[in-house]
Amino acid sequence: MHAAPDDGALKAFASSAQEEMAMRIGRRSVLKGLAAAGTAPFISHHAFGQAAAGPSEAGQIDIEKAKAEGKVVLYTSLDTKIVDAINAAFTKKYGIEVQYFRGGSSDVTGKVLAEADAGRSQADMVDASDVAGLMLMKERGLLKPFKTPATGTIAKELRDPDGTWIADRLTQAVIQYNTKELGSAPPKTWSDLAKLDGRLVYFSSPSGDGAPRLYTLASNLSWDLLKQLAATKPLRVQTPQIITQVLERGERAAGFLQNDNIAWRSKAQGKPTDYLFPAEGVPTEVGACGLLKNAARPHAAALYYEWWMGPEGQAILVDGGKYSSRTDVDPPKGSVPLSKIKLLAPNHVEYKKDKPKILDRLAATFGGEWGN
Amino acid sequence: MQAAASAPGADPAHGRPATSKISFQGLVLGFAVALLLFLVGYPLLWLILGALGVPQSLGFEHLQRAFARPQNYAALINTLQLALGTGVMSVLIGVPLAWATSRTNMPLRYLVHALVALSYIMPPYLTALAYIFLLGPEAGHFNRLLQGLFGFESGPLNIFTMPGVIFVIGIHVFAFTYFLTYSALKSVDASLEESAQVLGAKRWQTTLRINLPLVAPAITGGALLSAIDSLALFGPQAIIGTPAQIVFLPTRIYATIGSYPPRWAEASALSLVLVLLTVAGLALQRGYLERRSYITVSGKGVRTQLLDLGPARWLLLAFCMTVVFFSAIAPVGTLTINAFSKSWTDPLSFSNLTLEHFRSALFEDQVAVRGIINSFKLATSAAAIAVLIGAAVAYLDLRTNVRGRRLLDYLAILPLGLPGTVMAVGILLAFIRLPIPIYGTIWILLAAYVARFIPLATRSANATFRQIDPSLEEAGRITGASWFHAIRRILMPLSRPGLLVAFLLVFIPAFGELSATILLYTGGTETIAIAIYRLNDLGQLEVVSALAVFTIVVVLTLAALVNWLSGSSWSSSETPAVRG
Repeated sequence: MHAAPDDGALKAFASSAQEEMAMRIGRRSVLKGLAAAGTAPFISHHAFGQAAAGPSEAGQIDIEKAKAEGKVVLYTSLDTKIVDAINAAFTKKYGIEVQYFRGGSSDVTGKVLAEADAGRSQADMVDASDVAGLMLMKERGLLKPFKTPATGTIAKELRDPDGTWIADRLTQAVIQYNTKELGSAPPKTWSDLAKLDGRLVYFSSPSGDGAPRLYTLASNLSWDLLKQLAATKPLRVQTPQIITQVLERGERAAGFLQNDNIAWRSKAQGKPTDYLFPAEGVPTEVGACGLLKNAARPHAAALYYEWWMGPEGQAILVDGGKYSSRTDVDPPKGSVPLSKIKLLAPNHVEYKKDKPKILDRLAATFGGEWGN
Repeated sequence: MQAAASAPGADPAHGRPATSKISFQGLVLGFAVALLLFLVGYPLLWLILGALGVPQSLGFEHLQRAFARPQNYAALINTLQLALGTGVMSVLIGVPLAWATSRTNMPLRYLVHALVALSYIMPPYLTALAYIFLLGPEAGHFNRLLQGLFGFESGPLNIFTMPGVIFVIGIHVFAFTYFLTYSALKSVDASLEESAQVLGAKRWQTTLRINLPLVAPAITGGALLSAIDSLALFGPQAIIGTPAQIVFLPTRIYATIGSYPPRWAEASALSLVLVLLTVAGLALQRGYLERRSYITVSGKGVRTQLLDLGPARWLLLAFCMTVVFFSAIAPVGTLTINAFSKSWTDPLSFSNLTLEHFRSALFEDQVAVRGIINSFKLATSAAAIAVLIGAAVAYLDLRTNVRGRRLLDYLAILPLGLPGTVMAVGILLAFIRLPIPIYGTIWILLAAYVARFIPLATRSANATFRQIDPSLEEAGRITGASWFHAIRRILMPLSRPGLLVAFLLVFIPAFGELSATILLYTGGTETIAIAIYRLNDLGQLEVVSALAVFTIVVVLTLAALVNWLSGSSWSSSETPAVRG
């Protein structure tokens, strides 16, 4: 994603039937980058030649077969509290248990790839907040093309044209801060944070889970900004969940690139925190899901996928503070509509291609382990 | 090793039981041996192949590239600093403690001794977790205390630094130096000290000029073992090191595989470096221990004299209690308090008490519940298999003259020197593909646990069989019992307490294993350590504390059982042998 506008992508976008959607999501800059991701060529088309087992569209799902399959295995990077709520409702409705592995996006992608190498995929469905990871799975021929009615409610830039993955949520990387520490003069911009020497916190796991949003920020605004943030010697924690705890306890004053839903929940629970979307722009991280081609339980998996992407599943996601990727689902209660926010789009294609270099650069900037 | 299966030769001249050609005996022993080769030898082979780029390619370019990367050098240097730091620290606190509990009349010696044992038995990643609560830069209890007492603006101590990592690992591994020094000091003959005193030496001179030189090899050996162990402790390295932005070899290996796509060759190459460090350290340590040829130290039944320190003994006690307070009391205490508190940052009070986190950890949280069940299953199976193999190896070593049995013994002891991360990389590479693709199943964890802890079972079985006179089995065979019968009716009953100890010695570390599991588990095969690690990532610290307390209770109970059994097994297995 570069600062210079890309007219071709913009025109292609404007002429699409998704214009109304664009108004909701708001910023053309988001979709411009995403368009590149969605239409990028992939090498492994051979993998899609063979017929995948089980249903290939929503209409073919056999609920009896799904129940006979007994359970469904999900690999996800979504917050366990939301996953538990989605699963409970699904199990209640269909009597099918959901077993899940929850890790960071890199863990999820790494496990899916490693298990595929072993010829022993465990997962039926995968969900990760890292589209580049899903693109890599598609490239390896691990994902199954699937036609879902959800397609009609999701901008085409937010889904694979072959139907192997589809965005389920949009996470905005915000500034969260402790109101006791900074309540009188909260930061307004990313560069304001650079003044808070020794008082910042951010997250990334050793396998680089925080890297995509840092890259989005750097590539849309500047790498110099990251250098300034790094110069404040920010505390690095493993996950966004820990950022919020560090802030709630007052160990640090402000966190950068925090998940909006976690900041939202902390505030809603009456903790001494607040959050904001800086005017310079907020990196968006697209979470996406897909069905595994070699799923052991194809019907249960497809049924669950439909539940996850359908209005009911997405409503539970929104209850957990996430923005749905669907145009017909409202934003979380009390949160700003995305159309009012300047969003910075991730460029998944670039990220996937240059990942080693990007991680090297982040390691050079912040130090520590990035999985590079 | 084929020889072992087909011709477990008998040598009546050496007084060993005679056996028939290809027998049941051969089959049982051969099977155990094959399992050992398969679980330890085969993954090690893959570690080397992996570093050469197999199966994608074959050559040295991966090794070269791994060594050309600055990140890897940084990890190597940090790891060496850690080893040096913990080695020195183990001497600074381990030696005075050992001297105090073994040679002086300091009060509460047994309590101090037991608390050092506790700091060693406690899984080190739990100590690390506890220190986030205790010495977290702002909210940590000790920091708040210091802020309150001295009016610091912010917490003066930060655990997320290199000294912090060295401290947290040091208070775990110093037990090596402590125990080695303790037993060496215990066996220094008092007559030497008396001679010195008769010749006019002062007490402190006796200690410095007689005791210290005599036990110096034990101290050096202990320091080396502490340093070697610190290399391998993935848990605290990750839990404290990651927020501190300090990378060590095990965490680096984890990251090269954890980020996608996994870089197998680099991970294997780094694993080999870690193996080299460990092997070098162990060789050095062996060298030191072998120089320990002072008859005075190894002599049996020595008389020891306790030094009367006068009022100074209270000063020494204060020092000892400070050490065990930080190494055992504070970590266990803080985890326990957190586990029962609604919110760990709030002060302990009646209204802040709850059992909610235990309910969550033991019954509700999907991963935690599955983790507990899996850990029990895995530890039980791994211990049973390890004892079976260990007993077979010990039997071959002590009761037969099969060719290659020494080599077998080495292979069964080898994993002791291999960090869990390294074993996991080898096992991953070996079992991710044909002929035995068990990656992604619980079997790969079982394989890893058996491979990692087989030395504990082998040593223990060896010690047990040594105490049982072979003539007992011979007597059985002469009176017409089959080999199997002789084993079942004579050897097994006599060695049962010893083998139960072997079982528990594998069960205890397997129950809380983290460093290999983290690379090998998958959805559905989470263990208790994984539940703790993952929930800690998500900041659910109270539930993590409840799981930690549960783990500590299980481990401590079993360790107490080992202690009790070891006491009784000596008498019960020795007596018949003496009689025989």
